[in-house]
Amino acid sequence: MTSTDAAERRAPQDRAQVHAPELEPWEVFRQEKDGDPMRHGGSVMAPDAELAVHYARELFGRRQESVRLWVVRRADVLDLDDPDLLQPPLDRSFKKPGGYVMRDKLAAARAQSGQAKPKARQG
Amino acid sequence: MTMTTLRPAIVAGLTDLIGTMADDEFVIGFSDSEWTGIAPLLEEDVAMSSLAQDELGHAAALYGLLADLTGSDADALAYDREPGAYRHARLLDHGRGDWAMTIARRYLYETADAVRLEALVDGSWAPLAELCRKLVREERYHLMHVGSWFGRLADTPGEPRDRLETALAVLAPDAGTVFTPLDGETGLIDAGILAASMSELETRWRSVIGPTFARHGLAIPPRTDRPARGRTDHGAPFDWLWGEFNTVRRSDPGAIW
Amino acid sequence: MTDPLALEPILGPTERTALAFNDDDLTHDERFEAFEAHVVAGGKVEPTDWMPDEYRTAVLRFVEMHANSELMGVLPEREWLMRAPTLRRKLALTAKVQDEVGHAQLLYRVAEDLGKSREAMFDDLLAGRTKFHNVFHYPTVGWADVGMIAWLVDAAAIVAQQALRDSSYAPYARTMRKICWEESVHIMHGRDVVVTMATGTVAQRAAIQDALDRWWGPLMQMHGPRSPREKDRDLHWRIKAKTSEELRQEFLTIYVPRIREIGLVIPDPDLVWDDEAAAWRYAEPDWDELRTVVTNHGPMSEARLEFRRVNREETRWVREAILGVATAA
Repeated sequence: MTSTDAAERRAPQDRAQVHAPELEPWEVFRQEKDGDPMRHGGSVMAPDAELAVHYARELFGRRQESVRLWVVRRADVLDLDDPDLLQPPLDRSFKKPGGYVMRDKLAAARAQSGQAKPKARQG
Repeated sequence: MTMTTLRPAIVAGLTDLIGTMADDEFVIGFSDSEWTGIAPLLEEDVAMSSLAQDELGHAAALYGLLADLTGSDADALAYDREPGAYRHARLLDHGRGDWAMTIARRYLYETADAVRLEALVDGSWAPLAELCRKLVREERYHLMHVGSWFGRLADTPGEPRDRLETALAVLAPDAGTVFTPLDGETGLIDAGILAASMSELETRWRSVIGPTFARHGLAIPPRTDRPARGRTDHGAPFDWLWGEFNTVRRSDPGAIW
Repeated sequence: MTDPLALEPILGPTERTALAFNDDDLTHDERFEAFEAHVVAGGKVEPTDWMPDEYRTAVLRFVEMHANSELMGVLPEREWLMRAPTLRRKLALTAKVQDEVGHAQLLYRVAEDLGKSREAMFDDLLAGRTKFHNVFHYPTVGWADVGMIAWLVDAAAIVAQQALRDSSYAPYARTMRKICWEESVHIMHGRDVVVTMATGTVAQRAAIQDALDRWWGPLMQMHGPRSPREKDRDLHWRIKAKTSEELRQEFLTIYVPRIREIGLVIPDPDLVWDDEAAAWRYAEPDWDELRTVVTNHGPMSEARLEFRRVNREETRWVREAILGVATAA
C-alpha cells in the first residue's frame, strides 16, 4: 500500500480538514495600558493563527491603542451562561459587602458609649 | 559627526543614498496604497493599507532628513521633480499588478531593504543611523506579513503558485536593482556611514533569500544585467504614477493644500 | 481614552438571567411579548438571545445596509488617494479609507453573527438586491470633493451613528461606539482640507464652493424623508433611537454655522432657523432623486457596482489560496 492509497482512504472531510482551512471567527482581547485587564475588543475572520494575529493587530491595534492583544479561536472559548450556576437563587449576601449593614448598630453603640462618630481620616 | 562637520563629498554621497531610499519607499508606498478598498479580503485590505502608510511615513521621514541636508522641503522633494529625476529602484517600476505581483515585489524589496538598513544602523552619522534603527523595528512587521504570504502562494499548487512564478519571472531582470551602485558609496564606507558596498550587500541579500527560494523550489532571480542603470529608465508605469500623484498639486502650483 | 469596545453586558447579571423570552418552555407568542416588552423598556439583546424573526431580519437589514455603505463609500475617495497633493494628506486620506474598510469588516462581522455569510451579503449587494447610502452613488470631480465628503458627509453619518450607540442590539451598539471614536478624526481631516482651500487661492475657493453646491442636495436627502415615529419599526425595536428629521435638524444645527463661518454659501436660499418652531426650515429635498439613486440608478451606481464585481472576480483566486483550495491551473 502506497502513501497515496492511504491518503485516499482518509474520509473526504478529513482531507478537507488538512487541506482546506475555513475562515472562522477569532476573538480579540486587548489591554489598553500597562496594568489594565484584558477586555474583549471584537473579532476577526481568519483561516489560521498566523493571519488571525496579524488581522487582530490591524483591527484593534493599528493606532497604537493597545499594548497587548490576546487572540483566540471563538470555537476554543468556553462559554458559561447557565443561571443555575452563575446566579443560583438562594441568598448569598454573606458573600457581599451589601450583606453587612451596621448603621443602626453603630449608632446604638456610640449612644451607649457617649462617643461621637469619628471624623473621616485625612488623606 | 554633526551636519555642520560633514565634508561636501560626504553630503553629496548621503544625498544620493537617502534620496534613493526615500524614492524607493515613496514609490512602493504608492503602489501598495492602490490596494486600499479593493484587496482580496477586508482584513487583508486593512493590513496592506497599514503597510503602505508605514512606507509613506518612512518616505516622509527620509525626505525630511534629505530636506535638512539640502535646505529643501519634504513635499517639494517628494513631488516636484520630473519623472526622469526619480532614483527609485527599477524593481518598483512595475505596476501594482495582481496580488501575486504585489507579494513578489514586496518580498524582493523588503528583504533587500532589510539588508540595506542593517548596513546603516551602526553608521557614524547619527541622524541617519537613528532613523534606520526605527525603520528596522517597523520593518519587522512587514517581513512577517510578506514572508507569510510568499510561502502561502508558493506552497499552494495551481493558480497561486503559477501566478507567483509568473510575477517573479517578470520582476527577475530588475530584482537586484535596490543594490544599484551609488556614486559616492566609497566615501560613505570610508566615513563609517555605510558598512559595505551595494555589490557586497547584494551578495548578502542573495545568501539570505537563497534558502527560502530553495525551500519552495523557486528559481532565484539572476543578477541585473545592467546594474549601473538600475535606478533610471523608469518607463510607462512610473510615468502614469507620477501623473497621478501630481494631478492635484500641479493643478494649482504654489497653492497650500 | 475609555475602551471603545468591551463585551460588558449592558444589563446586570441578575436581570439577564431573568429574561423570560429565553425560556424554551414558553410559547412563541409569550416569548415575543416578553421580548418586545424588554426591548421597548430599553433592554439589550445579545447574539445568543432568542429573537423574533421580525427583529432579527430588521437588525440584519439595518446592519447590512450600513456595512454595504462603508464598503461602497470607499470607492469615491480611493480614486483621490493616488492624487493627494502632499505627503501628510496622502497619509490622512489612506488612513481614512482604511478605517472605512475596517468599519465594513466590523459591521459585516456583526451581520455574520446574525446568520448571514459575508459572501451572501456581497452577492446581494452586487446583484442590486440590497442597498447602500445615497451619497456614495455620486461622482467626485476634484480634491475639493475629497474635503467636502470627509467633512460634511462623514459629519452627517456620525450624527446618525452617535444615535446608534445605544441600539437595542448590543453587538451593533458596541461597534458603533468604536466607529464613532474612529470617525471623529476623519471629520477633523475633512474640515482641515476644506478650511485650507476656503482660505487659499481663487481657484481653490471656487472649487470648494462648487463642491458644496453639488453635495448639499444629497446631504439633505441622506437621513431620509420625514416619517412618523409611530410607523417606524426600527424605532419601535429601538434598533435606532432618532427619526430622520431629528438627525437632519441636529446636523444643520451643528454644521450650518461652521459652513458659514468660513465664507461658504449654502445653496438653499430657503434655509433659515425658525425661532418659534425651534427648527430649521429648508427647501424640500428631492425625494424622487433619493429614490432613484438608492435603487441603483444614481450617476455612479452601476459603474461602482461593476467595479466591485470585476475586482471580486479578479481576487477570487487569493481567497481560495487562503483557504488552501487547490484550484485548476
